[in-house]
Amino acid sequence: MGSGIWSTSVYDAAKKLRGGASAFGYSDSGARTVHPDLDPLGIATRESRDSDEHPASLAVAVLFDVTGSMGGVPRILQTKLPQLLGLLMRKGYVRDPQIMFGAIGDATCDSAPLQVGQFESDNRMDGDLERIVLEGGGGGQKRESYELALYFMARHTATDCFEVRGKRGYLFIIGDEMAYDRVKPREVAAVIGDKLAEPVPLQAIAAEVTRRWDTYYILPEGASYVGDDEVLSFWRKLLGQNVIELADLDAVSETIALTIGLGEDTVDLDTGLADLADVGSDAAPVVSKALAAISDRGSLVAGDAPDAGGDLGRPSGNARL
Amino acid sequence: MRKHAIAVDLGYGDAGKGGIVDWLCTPGSHPAAGGPVHTVVRFNGGAQAAHNVVTPGGRHHTFAQFGSGTLSAPGTRTFLSRFMLVDPLALVGEAEHLADLGVADPLALVAIDRDALLTTPYHQAANRAREAARGAARHGSCGMGIGETAAYALAHPDDAPRAGDCQTPGVLTRKLTLLRDRMAVDSMAVGGAVGSSAVGSSAAGDPMPPAQDVTDAYRVIAGRVTITGEGHLARLLRRPGRVVFEGAQGVLLDEWRGFHPYTTWSTTTFGNAEALLAEAGMPGEALRLGVTRAYMTRHGPGPFVTEDPTLELPEPHNQPGRWQGLVRRGHLDAVALRYAIEACGGVDAIALTHLDTAAAHAGQLKVCRGYRVGQQGLTDKLVPGPARDLDYQQRLTGMLLAARPVYGDAVNQADWPDVVAGFAGAPVAVRSHGPSSVRKTASSRAWRGEPRPDIAVQT
Repeated sequence: MGSGIWSTSVYDAAKKLRGGASAFGYSDSGARTVHPDLDPLGIATRESRDSDEHPASLAVAVLFDVTGSMGGVPRILQTKLPQLLGLLMRKGYVRDPQIMFGAIGDATCDSAPLQVGQFESDNRMDGDLERIVLEGGGGGQKRESYELALYFMARHTATDCFEVRGKRGYLFIIGDEMAYDRVKPREVAAVIGDKLAEPVPLQAIAAEVTRRWDTYYILPEGASYVGDDEVLSFWRKLLGQNVIELADLDAVSETIALTIGLGEDTVDLDTGLADLADVGSDAAPVVSKALAAISDRGSLVAGDAPDAGGDLGRPSGNARL
Repeated sequence: MRKHAIAVDLGYGDAGKGGIVDWLCTPGSHPAAGGPVHTVVRFNGGAQAAHNVVTPGGRHHTFAQFGSGTLSAPGTRTFLSRFMLVDPLALVGEAEHLADLGVADPLALVAIDRDALLTTPYHQAANRAREAARGAARHGSCGMGIGETAAYALAHPDDAPRAGDCQTPGVLTRKLTLLRDRMAVDSMAVGGAVGSSAVGSSAAGDPMPPAQDVTDAYRVIAGRVTITGEGHLARLLRRPGRVVFEGAQGVLLDEWRGFHPYTTWSTTTFGNAEALLAEAGMPGEALRLGVTRAYMTRHGPGPFVTEDPTLELPEPHNQPGRWQGLVRRGHLDAVALRYAIEACGGVDAIALTHLDTAAAHAGQLKVCRGYRVGQQGLTDKLVPGPARDLDYQQRLTGMLLAARPVYGDAVNQADWPDVVAGFAGAPVAVRSHGPSSVRKTASSRAWRGEPRPDIAVQT
């Protein structure tokens, strides 16, 4: 018995945990450099492993552009992405998802060109999300260091879904600009710590990453280059039809969850949209529009095939086709 | 000997479960084998619990949702099972105090089953409106919304916010909005005020804050603890080391076995803990420890046959609650204690607490051996009724409210353990002479006693 001496108001509780600031705790505290937990320098691998608790782990990585061109998008992503785990699990799209969040800046001029969290099976991943620094920089040449993120995902991740079961994980890159045309040894050394003898062409690193990661690019409304044909065709060349235009950022987690559900063949688009209503989301119309191309693999025509070689020509649903 | 243990209060709460759990979790303090306690599991009640622990160094904390072993050894974790009614906001307040006491990142030590119900500011506002409307006929509620949380979940099982909903804010907001609307309507129906709900003010003192604000706060909190699910306890139980199940309130307040209607909305027996053990594939694999003082206390109204207002016993940690009324004091009631033991399916051992206070009041404290009701002969046994028969429980209440205690002789200080073991029919395995773990001593023989073969899981 007792009298509830620890009662705290809604506002005090949030304030205490956030240190008086918004959800972007680390960034809002004035931090401008990568949080030690998210620093890729010297990381051998970020691992997604099976466990007794999660015997069929499926790796999901979501990396988003945090440079200035993205405007208020990263801050919204930070509040919306925590829903992803619940969405994947509630309707059984994925049994044992392990989610990693990360952020992409510009290695040519930013202090946080790459930030990578851990793969987590519970909401510890939200802590990574909160520790991401919002760069707000970027170079203004419609390019950011996406290739550095692809390099990290290709060579510094290890997943049991792929190594044990031969299933690719899912990689989502949310941004509004293009990648630089090659991975530069100097930047890799400075940011990740690897010694590269020579640059790796973008096409090669994209081929490498898509062998192990079913990779998607999401261009959200609210970013500077929304609907930009140059940006869209750049990514379509690299990733085929795995390029998603998202009209409402609030629907980002729903869009990702359903993309994975479709890829896993655990749901079809109509059922998935109905599921969204079922879990209290009103995102169905937005998601429906965003995923129209992806859910209709049959309409892929030869001319749309990407030219990056390797696995890229294959429609990317893991279990489909 | 079973390495895990369940501690349950055999009275009206306040017997000293916190101190006993602290002692169980303090390395090297007692004869239990099986390694250190890594996790304390809560299996009933919610943030209204107030389990006081004082460390040998003098640090004091009133545990409400954190397990009472949090200060006993660094890193001792808490698991709030699906039977718990979790108040996320109170969890933050409690974590803040634990951090002040030197516990590193207390919220990181907490795992919550995703099915656990959430107690919200709306439940609390409705609770307080209802109790205020009851006036003198109040039920002794804590004002924490525990009853409202349980009642709402019974009435609207699919709409009741649960810990897992914090992972899908859309769902959480929808449920909170619905709850807020319904609670405002209910409170008006009983004639109570629910504060500024009508205008939806978002001032910090608002008892009915907007649902979106509650969602935002809960999301932040959920990000700091672990929300988990099925199978978590099974893994905990199979880890090296021990698990302690910490009961809240007391058997005499049990929703089905207590003296209706002066009860709580929670199963306060061993039942929930045994159910969790069974689900984890380890039925009966924990020592059942019944905790009682050498005298009794009760918060708020309800039967208390041995109440004695002349007893001046100190209650340093039990201040009168605004919503609960005064702390009442009385002598140990052997009839009620035997009833509690029988009603909860038996105990393996007794933890006997507050022996220091009993020693300081030697000669005053007695044991009630039976009751007289009207002109009838001595009643020395309360027979537990059929399962879930509240009419029967209410008749018990009526009888107890009319009963007069019949006392034996004053108990000599040294005789307490034998006296209690005698009428409890179980050995006294732990004696507590003070709040901190160093003031507790185990009777090794009693502690190692063979488990009872006939433990029945109560439902």
